[in-house]
Amino acid sequence: MKLQFKGAKFFILVVFVYLVLFFINSEKTAAALQQGSSIVLKLLPIFLAVIVLTAVINYFLRPQQIVKHFGKESGMLGWLYALFGGIISHGPMYAWYPMLQDMKNHGLREGLIATFLYARAIKLPLLPLMVDYFGLMFTTVLSVYILGGAYLQGRFMEYILCLKHKSKRDL
Amino acid sequence: MNNKAKVSFVQALKKSALGFISMSPMLLGVIGLVAIIQTYVTPDMIRSVFGKGLFIDTLSGTFTGAIFSGNPAVSYLVGGELLEEGVSLYAVTAFILSWVTLGFVQLPAESEALGFRFTLYRNLLSLITTIVVSIATVATIGIIK
Repeated sequence: MKLQFKGAKFFILVVFVYLVLFFINSEKTAAALQQGSSIVLKLLPIFLAVIVLTAVINYFLRPQQIVKHFGKESGMLGWLYALFGGIISHGPMYAWYPMLQDMKNHGLREGLIATFLYARAIKLPLLPLMVDYFGLMFTTVLSVYILGGAYLQGRFMEYILCLKHKSKRDL
Repeated sequence: MNNKAKVSFVQALKKSALGFISMSPMLLGVIGLVAIIQTYVTPDMIRSVFGKGLFIDTLSGTFTGAIFSGNPAVSYLVGGELLEEGVSLYAVTAFILSWVTLGFVQLPAESEALGFRFTLYRNLLSLITTIVVSIATVATIGIIK
């Protein structure tokens, strides 16, 4: 596999922003750089986990199996996998983009991606903290609505994409 | 597991690592922007956005949360403080929800990985879902109480 970097222009733009900010406020920009480094260090285990998980999925699930479990014919089980996956996934959303991109290339439904990404709003390890700040009732009601919202969002996403596809075909 | 299978898993791992490394400039760019926002935007600046009525506050909560990306625990902390200062629960719910479901700074990375069309629709739908879920949550709590 040939290595092709994605987002190099975006990265250069961010470096440029840092350079400009450094001339405006060098102290704060240095602090931002330090903060960025600590974010990278904190995320390293998650990045490693995503790399291993992607490899495991690719190794154990052949493209046909990915289509079967997460493709158009996946049915209700596919939605449940997406909701469950979203709830148990850790780290920021962007850490999961490479894995989702890979699975999408192998036939993962876009509706399931939308559901997975919204279900990530439920953070299992942080639930006690949420209960402490906002109460048990708020946490329970919000979590139920997040799950419902995640499912509906995935369905709407597929509906919109289906309409788009249809109108393209009719043209 | 036989030798052939072992080699294939190593290949799968290598392929996965290369795929991840190819996205690294984009991910590092997003992390760089997140760090700038976390350093330059203070909790006081976030507080100043609120206090302009229920509807505007809910929209402000959604958009302010969408600008940030970081540990969700921070959103609970800021959200708790906002509640104590009299900001409505609708706005605070929208704020903590959009913090984890939307992310303006990660839009370029999402678009690169999952496509522009998908990113546009998903973020628009997330914006609407966040507002609806916030209103439904607070209304339901009101009915139960």
